[in-house]
Amino acid sequence: MNSSRGPAVLAQGLVKHYEGRDGSVEAVRGVDLEIRAGEIFGFLGPNGAGKSTTVRMLTTLLTITDGRAEVVGIDVAGNPDDARKRIGVALQEAGLDPRQTGRELLILHGRLFGLGPDEARDRAQQLLELVELEDAADRPIKGYSGGMQRRLDLAAALVHEPQVLFLDEPTTGLDPASRLTIWEELRRINAQGTTVFLTTQYLEEADQLCDRLAIIDGGLIVREGTPGALKADLRDRRGGAAEPTLDDVFLDATGRTRDRAAGEVQEVTAA
Amino acid sequence: MSATLELGKRSLREALRQPDALFMTMFIPIFFLVVNTGQAAKIFPSESTGFLEGQGYGAFQLPITLLLAASFGMAALFLVEEIEGGYFDKLRAIPIPRYSIVLGRLVAEGAKGIVLSSVIVLLALPFGISIASGVPGFVLLVALSALWGVVYAGFMQLIALKTRSAAATNSGGLIFFPLLFLTPNFVPRDLLTEPMEVAATLNPVTYLMEALRSMILTDLDWDKILPGFGVVAIFGAVMLVLNVRMIRSYD
Repeated sequence: MNSSRGPAVLAQGLVKHYEGRDGSVEAVRGVDLEIRAGEIFGFLGPNGAGKSTTVRMLTTLLTITDGRAEVVGIDVAGNPDDARKRIGVALQEAGLDPRQTGRELLILHGRLFGLGPDEARDRAQQLLELVELEDAADRPIKGYSGGMQRRLDLAAALVHEPQVLFLDEPTTGLDPASRLTIWEELRRINAQGTTVFLTTQYLEEADQLCDRLAIIDGGLIVREGTPGALKADLRDRRGGAAEPTLDDVFLDATGRTRDRAAGEVQEVTAA
Repeated sequence: MSATLELGKRSLREALRQPDALFMTMFIPIFFLVVNTGQAAKIFPSESTGFLEGQGYGAFQLPITLLLAASFGMAALFLVEEIEGGYFDKLRAIPIPRYSIVLGRLVAEGAKGIVLSSVIVLLALPFGISIASGVPGFVLLVALSALWGVVYAGFMQLIALKTRSAAATNSGGLIFFPLLFLTPNFVPRDLLTEPMEVAATLNPVTYLMEALRSMILTDLDWDKILPGFGVVAIFGAVMLVLNVRMIRSYD
């Protein structure tokens, strides 16, 4: 088992099938990923493409139908508790306990990760300062704004100083100022050596933050590379002089076009 | 075990911050005690009703109040809220034993049950109800009520984990009401009609009720008390195994 060398996250032939009333649904159909230690990796895709399912398998929250996944060299399915010690998780919609205060929640997480009472209190204070929530620390979470909840969720994911931080759409639904605050915090966390695995629907976010990214569609990876390389590849294939944007790369990779999307909307409206 | 206790403390804080829910847990069972006693006390005067052992009809009804109070726990509904809000997944992503996540809430239910049962019994004392088995009986009475609360909360948590729905969990909880009334709740078992006596004999809640009642009306009667604790032990073990299996296979 190697927890310092090799990829921070490795997925080989990752598959997830759900059994439903209408038979089996293939949410993820064979995903291969290799994320290097210390990078911010973006995972993009349309709704229902398999982003969240992949993240949930990598973070031990979903069973893996086929294939294997490792986090810092640890088999996620074989040693889930070892993997959990090394990862931080902030899923879609900040999952917090609304009846606790921010400080209580962070202390609880510290205690659950094995910190002593004083250590957990000190760590909570550090994190509250990191995410700039000291003033709201002793108020119930249910009174926090969306942006404050996301920042607290991020802090809760960092309590045990994880090697890899998984963030599933951390800025969805936030106003631009809150989004920028989250971006700054992610850069700061990454600068301290934490690998960040980020799913997002915002292409600008991926362009700004990510060292490399992958695009998933229909449960399969359809593009992977640095934002610059993906744009250059599209420009070369199109042969035009204009520099494509990441939006163009995304639309090209997922087989969608702006015209087609507009047409689909009109059709639905007419019906 | 420390994770279970930490999560238990959190659940207790949660309950204390929802005082309206605690109030209803107390109010409804006491309401039933007052109404049932008011309606039937004249039919069963203590001087001429042998099964009351010299006490008023309220003492005979007190076990139903305790069982009802123990069955109004909010743990499962808080759990559904947590599943829907995503915090349950956050806890699942922490390297703690899976059983801690379900046991934490049950520990808190047990602590709450001890306080609520004690308060109900203490509230009953000024109204002429006494605990014939003395202090040891009082302790056992409170312990059995609280343990039943834990078992019942575990059963409700099972429904919550399976259905992940507040409506389904609430509906599942209603199963207790038929069980509560298929018992010797108004008169002793030997005074029930034959079909009701058979139903009550098959109903495990009967043995809980009879154990609680014996501690209120008579000195410690182990032939009545032990079956009550046996029911709690058997159903508690089954509930715990099912809860742990459910959370381990939760996807």
